[in-house]
Amino acid sequence: MAKNYFLEILAGVAILVFCGVFLYTSSTMTGAEFAGSDNVGSGMIAELSGKSVDSFTPLIPQWQPPSGEIEACLFALQAALGGIFVGGVFGYWIGQKKSMSETTTNQ
Amino acid sequence: MHIMEGFLPWQWCIVWWLIALPCLAFGVWRLKKVIDADREALPLLGVTGGFIFILSSLKLPSVTGSCSHPTGTGLSAICFGPWITSVICAIVLLFQSLFLAHGGLSVLGANIVSMGIVGPVIGYAIYRLLKDTSVNIYLTVFLVTALADMFTYVTTSLELALAYPAEVGGVASSFILFMGIFAVTQVPLAIVEGIVLALVFKYIVALKPDILIRMKIFSEKQINDARGEA
Repeated sequence: MAKNYFLEILAGVAILVFCGVFLYTSSTMTGAEFAGSDNVGSGMIAELSGKSVDSFTPLIPQWQPPSGEIEACLFALQAALGGIFVGGVFGYWIGQKKSMSETTTNQ
Repeated sequence: MHIMEGFLPWQWCIVWWLIALPCLAFGVWRLKKVIDADREALPLLGVTGGFIFILSSLKLPSVTGSCSHPTGTGLSAICFGPWITSVICAIVLLFQSLFLAHGGLSVLGANIVSMGIVGPVIGYAIYRLLKDTSVNIYLTVFLVTALADMFTYVTTSLELALAYPAEVGGVASSFILFMGIFAVTQVPLAIVEGIVLALVFKYIVALKPDILIRMKIFSEKQINDARGEA
């Protein structure tokens, strides 16, 4: 039984360990920011080139999400879009499998 | 791994676009061929593409106190090869640069090269290497996904280092600096992503083994062994 669910258990444990380590490090490291490596990378570019982060302006004009909440909403929308596809296809496959086994039992 | 709009000098933007465009064109051609050959490949494409959409939208905190995105490209690289994966990545990155101000149109080429080309190519190479060996297929999926993710960030570091060499030590030393920011943050995420996508692959094997065998992604024996044990 346990062998059948090895990957599920492994995934659960990995996520728990990941969260645990993150909570531990974020509580002990002072000055750690929930900013994202993209932002830290931008800061490093500014440092290396000797310019301030604000002096980098888009080469091609770009629409900016008006607020952090809207940005988060759009991110969630992107995840949802992926989720619809994944859920839809898995459902389609399950249905396909069911109808196939039904036709074989009816015959 | 997104390089922000305006953060690459225009010369480098052109260089990365010139590398990305032929790969995308080849990817579109391959995509048409695969779908013409087997319509049943379309749902599988939907699932692998869907996971790139989900995973690349997740901004996850990592142990370095910073956070980062998984990429989710490994599964698609295994099933469809790196070129088709680069087309899916281009769509995701276009979405993010237009609606989320994450990345941008001028740096899109550079972001496609790191997430859509180098990462999946490395992943695909590992898959080909392990495909016909006795290595468990879930372990193969794990390694491919985790390393495709890692190398995406290594490439981003290289792209930035080439554009911004440090005054002392040049490209190499700024590469190490960027690696410290991007790649180290990414290690735990890559491991978790690898395990999660191996789990997803288990469900694909359970539900639709015939498509995997027909597309010769894994041999019938490997799939049957995997079904027997998991």
